[in-house]
Amino acid sequence: MSDGQRSGEDDPARASEGAVLLVEGLVRRFGDLTAVDGVGLRIEAGQTYGLLGPNGAGKTTTISMIAGLLPADAGTISVLGRPMGPREVEVKHHIGLVPQDLAIYPELTARENLAFFGRLQGMRGRQLIERIDEVLDLIALSDRADDATKDYSGGMKRRLNIAVGLIHRPALLILDEPTVGVDPQSRNAILRSVEALSGEGMAVLYTTHYMEEAARLCDRIGIIDSGRIRAEGTRSELITLIGGVDTIRLTGAGPVEESAEALRLLEAVDKVGVEGRCLTLTVHDAPTTVAQVVTTAARTGLALDEVEIVRPDLESVFLHLTGKALRD
Amino acid sequence: MRALWIMTFSDLRLNLRNRSVLLFALVIPASLMTVLSITYNTGEATGLTGSQSLSPVSVAAAVPEGDRLGTTLLTALTHLNDLDIDVELTSADRARALAGSGEADLALFVPEGFTDAVRAGRGPTVSTVRADGTGAEVELLLSVIGGTLEQFHDGALAARAATAGGVPAAELDQVALQAALREPSVAFLEGRTSSEQLSATGALVAGQAGLFLFFTVGFGVLALVSERETGTWTRLCSLPLRPWTIVASKALVSYVLGVASTGVLLTVGILLLDVDFGAPLPIALLVLCAVAAGTSLMFVVARLARTAEQANLFQTALAMILGLAGGAFFPLSVSGPLDAILDLNPVAAFSRGLGITSGGGGPTDLGAPVAILLGSAAVTAALSLLLPDRGRAT
Ligand SMILES: Nc1ncnc2c1ncn2[C@@H]1O[C@H](COP(=O)(O)OP(=O)(O)OP(=O)(O)O)[C@@H](O)[C@H]1O
Ligand SMILES: [Mg+2]
Repeated sequence: MSDGQRSGEDDPARASEGAVLLVEGLVRRFGDLTAVDGVGLRIEAGQTYGLLGPNGAGKTTTISMIAGLLPADAGTISVLGRPMGPREVEVKHHIGLVPQDLAIYPELTARENLAFFGRLQGMRGRQLIERIDEVLDLIALSDRADDATKDYSGGMKRRLNIAVGLIHRPALLILDEPTVGVDPQSRNAILRSVEALSGEGMAVLYTTHYMEEAARLCDRIGIIDSGRIRAEGTRSELITLIGGVDTIRLTGAGPVEESAEALRLLEAVDKVGVEGRCLTLTVHDAPTTVAQVVTTAARTGLALDEVEIVRPDLESVFLHLTGKALRD
Repeated sequence: MRALWIMTFSDLRLNLRNRSVLLFALVIPASLMTVLSITYNTGEATGLTGSQSLSPVSVAAAVPEGDRLGTTLLTALTHLNDLDIDVELTSADRARALAGSGEADLALFVPEGFTDAVRAGRGPTVSTVRADGTGAEVELLLSVIGGTLEQFHDGALAARAATAGGVPAAELDQVALQAALREPSVAFLEGRTSSEQLSATGALVAGQAGLFLFFTVGFGVLALVSERETGTWTRLCSLPLRPWTIVASKALVSYVLGVASTGVLLTVGILLLDVDFGAPLPIALLVLCAVAAGTSLMFVVARLARTAEQANLFQTALAMILGLAGGAFFPLSVSGPLDAILDLNPVAAFSRGLGITSGGGGPTDLGAPVAILLGSAAVTAALSLLLPDRGRAT
């Protein structure tokens, strides 16, 4: 879990420098069960951090402590350099929580829900009205904004649930499995809005047990199981960690052996196997290598029919680390 | 502070949109009041507006030959100042027949061996049969009888204690008679005249308003329980609010709804059912105190209930028990220690307070009911703080 960005950890002031969220040694017990066992993480502005773990891993418990809903038994949490806990009031202004379970008033319309929570965040007037429109637009609910939310579909409710969490432009947005049980269209809308938000500079903490989501959204991923973070890093780092390598498969007509020779000379390529018209290359990071590979193959006169990239996924990382599958 | 108003206002708006509030706080109680008052008033008007209007009561009494305390009881009744009582000594069968035919208002049966039973310290059991259609005078008489029997019992116990076992008959009679002649009428008049100032309809309106108050206040505080179910509780806890703000806003919602609905119900009573509750200021004081008691009690319910459905059940049970015991459906008269307990019931205290105001009492005359209402508010508030929160998820 080496991480160059965490070199300043010994000095708390310096460690939190630039970090929107800094969590260290977080512990929470329920009776005999240690639901969260020494979790640490750091998220910077514009970064999306994924907490990837199966049911009961301790994701919601971790988030509840960060959002100040639950006291921690040990550990520290700081948001924008300020300590965070259930009794802190001011710091909560900087956090937007999207709970795992829906948290909206069914009798109110989307606009009313947003206005209510926006006001409680201290917003008012034009600024609030404009922000409500902006957020409704982001989650694609503008056309149903004035209907009572009890008549919404499950996916629409989930989208509104997210909108409420970001109405006040928090520095840190915490989303707890926001896509569970939604239709593909809503799911896509949700993922797109999270991408847009991190593009705006929000720090995002995103829990999920869908590895595709973690892979698509997250700059860094922490793999959590039984309350502990088993590994952390970028997607590639995690895959490298388990010795995983990418494979590029080229199929084409022409001087196959000659191409193989030329490809072997490339620094990014580990191994090249030849089997009929098919070349199988072992590389470290396929997306950054593929262009070079294709150009080299073309230069040697290979006419490509097909290029295929095969990557080990986070599922295999998870399996490797914990000995179990992400989903039952 | 701003957050408190935002939450209170939003909840109030939601409540007004929600038809069940209007239904429970206004429509149902107002209809019930009207229906009940019509039912009660189709017979003879039973309103008591003062001791002057009490009409004579005839009692047919069956007392065993030579039963000293039985005779003492009758003597005590005929000596009552406020009631004109005509006692006819007769056999048990005839007494029953007289009450059955309505010739006597009340039949009174003193059992064989009554005096000995009292002396032995066993509870005296005297039964009565009330003629149909009798009014508040009989009500009054019954509670006097109850009080007298109570005194017999206490007197016997005291005398037994004093003489360490052997109770001279004469002494017991003396104690009993003294007690019977003095105490019950005094205690009775002190404890009761005020509430008897309310007409039958007035008592109904007061009782119904009191009962439904316990439904109405639920719409504020019990939202604490339902918000756990909608998940909004979690969200509220994540907002930059001081923790007391959420609870205070729910209390405020209950309070506002309670005051508004009770105000409307009493006004309906005054304007449509012709009830005279007295001056507005002391009435307002009573309403404010009663709503405080109701709101506070809801916090106990919110603590005990795991789900919103459970909360509603608890609340309904509480409201019905307090309402029944407070005379929301029919006048309830018991005497002795039970009466003292019933007097602590906020609905009863509210009705009693309205009895005082309707008799012309001002704020300073409302000491007892106000103390009971505020006391109950304080006790239940403290209780809600001490009780574990059964519905909390974590
Ligand atoms: N209030 C509680 N009381 C007792 N145990 C709890 C409580 N909350 C959580 N737990 C336990 O702590 C562990 C972690 O739960 P948590 O909800 O954090 O998991 P999660 O990763 O969010 O799972 P999921 O993907 O199902 O949401 C579980 O074993 C759970 O049963
Ligand atoms: Mg969870």
